[in-house]
Amino acid sequence: MFDILIKGGTVVDGTGAPGFAGDVAVKDGRIAAVGRTIAGEARRTLDAAGRIVAPGFIDPHTHFDVQLLWDGAARPALEHGITCVVPGNCSLSLAPLKAADRKCLVGMFQQIEEMPPQAFTEAFEWTWEDFAGYRDAIAAKLQLNVAPLVGHSVIRLWVMGADAQQRAARPDEIAAMQDLLRECLEARAVGLSTSFVDVDERGHPVPSRFAGFDELDALCAVLGEFGRMLQIVPEFYATDITLARVDQLAELSIKHDIPTTFSPLFDSAATPQNVPRTLARVEEQFARGARVWPQMQTRPIDISFSLLRPSLFFGRLPRWVRVLRLPLAERLAALRDPATADKMVEDAGPDGGLAMLGELVLRGGDAAPAELAGRTLAQIAAERDESPARALINLSLENGLDVAFLAASRGHDATARIGPMLASPFVHIGASDGGAHLASFATYGDTGYLFSEFVRKSGALSLEAAVKKITSDTAEIWGLKDRGLLQAGKSADIVVFDAATIGRGEERPLFDMPGDGMRYVRDAIGIEAVVVNGEVAWEGGAYTEARAGVVCELA
Amino acid sequence: MSAAIAKTKPAPGLDDAVVEAAEIVAGHDGAAELLVRLRHGNGVSSALTLDPDTGFDLLRAAGAASLDGLIGQSWRDLTRGLWEL
Repeated sequence: MFDILIKGGTVVDGTGAPGFAGDVAVKDGRIAAVGRTIAGEARRTLDAAGRIVAPGFIDPHTHFDVQLLWDGAARPALEHGITCVVPGNCSLSLAPLKAADRKCLVGMFQQIEEMPPQAFTEAFEWTWEDFAGYRDAIAAKLQLNVAPLVGHSVIRLWVMGADAQQRAARPDEIAAMQDLLRECLEARAVGLSTSFVDVDERGHPVPSRFAGFDELDALCAVLGEFGRMLQIVPEFYATDITLARVDQLAELSIKHDIPTTFSPLFDSAATPQNVPRTLARVEEQFARGARVWPQMQTRPIDISFSLLRPSLFFGRLPRWVRVLRLPLAERLAALRDPATADKMVEDAGPDGGLAMLGELVLRGGDAAPAELAGRTLAQIAAERDESPARALINLSLENGLDVAFLAASRGHDATARIGPMLASPFVHIGASDGGAHLASFATYGDTGYLFSEFVRKSGALSLEAAVKKITSDTAEIWGLKDRGLLQAGKSADIVVFDAATIGRGEERPLFDMPGDGMRYVRDAIGIEAVVVNGEVAWEGGAYTEARAGVVCELA
Repeated sequence: MSAAIAKTKPAPGLDDAVVEAAEIVAGHDGAAELLVRLRHGNGVSSALTLDPDTGFDLLRAAGAASLDGLIGQSWRDLTRGLWEL
């Protein structure tokens, strides 16, 4: 008897082959059979008529390291069909970490994740120092699978202490880092992450940025012993430097026979040659035998700001620049001064800022009245009988400046350009940043957006190609054993979804972080059921009690 | 992933690049960032993106009231000014 039989769906097995009408049977956490018609009884039958049955999606760039300690589903990732996440990116992981260094690392994590301090003091107990200890701390609660990276910055911190953020390592220290990395890889770290751009909460470069190439080379030699991944954040703000990093990664990949990946890589009208030039270099390096995978996100990039912090959004308006650069108390005084406010409104144009500011959306989740969330500034201004610029100033003043506005789709937003990029065999779809930037934007729903925008709307990818991109391709790139395919014997990670509706919901604030902390999320659309290692983990819009997630076995 | 440009002293021999355009672009982390397009002495153009703090520092170093005030300024002088802030 099967545990689960998923009947009558369209099976898209992750290989890229055309979908076919069929069934999928599950037993003991594995896929028992896939076929046109599977006979036999099952403890549980899922009717998938009119639905797609596909391997669970894999998200290769997340920062769920902390959240996984109290939320084994990495909500809402799982309900979007994600059955495996890779945390520990950008040089930061929660292990290995000496107790004395916790405070230091928390500051770095808060910079990236924007998580409230209570997340680190109330939501879990620090029970570990080594990587295996962290792995065990998350393992008991997992509802989805995890393939954690170990961060270069924490490895440096362990070996060098405070010097990790001050200098290059000595040969004996590099040797100690190699030993420590080896220990982490033996404890099932999927690879090493490093960063050339990240900063801590004081704006200081994270420890990995102080490493010389000899150190990175030595660590990659250890990765080579296991064939594991090197993930980096390159200097993505300048194409020429990114190209140099591609070349550097290629040398490391070939020398040590390891896969490498870098993120983010994104397109914009302002830098239209960034992706084409980078992909051309990546293709050249693949031809040499290197494995250098650029990760590209699916979602457009929005600009978000409030008047609490100076934003370059107003960089073309001299009076706004002058006021917003003032210290907070003086900024408030200037904004309250009628003459100054009049000049700022004047600066925004003869239409009172309608063209420049009218489409801004008030975001919610902050001090602004909840009923205004999701509405445009033009709408709100009209109701207040004010110009948009005046309404922006007054609304901000009425709420202690804690009112966030969103300028939607201001980068990586040209579907006609990005679709073919995502479809490129040299592009690894990822870079969601799930679990990071919590108070800035929602990092969930990129997979739904892949299907709604690039399969249904633009047709840049077939459904089968899109599924392959975020299942078997990802599993193969990262060396995740038995994941990413609907084939007998593979782990039973399955998502059942409606191809006609799968997508992402509107961004909304949610106060579910420790200490009532706020984050932006997006709900899943069109996902019917998610199965993790043979157990239904999400179904009919609700999480189940299943705790079948594991720390992934590696090929 | 939050980017920050290291403020380093301009290297001797840096060519005579000038700012030919300055634009607001969306940073990957949702911030408005500053894209500076440079025209180098040999005629080649290049672009780099600065995070908000560095962008505002650059305006300050340039004595510019807005982005338009950066146009035509020497990149060597701007980066020197950035270092001296």
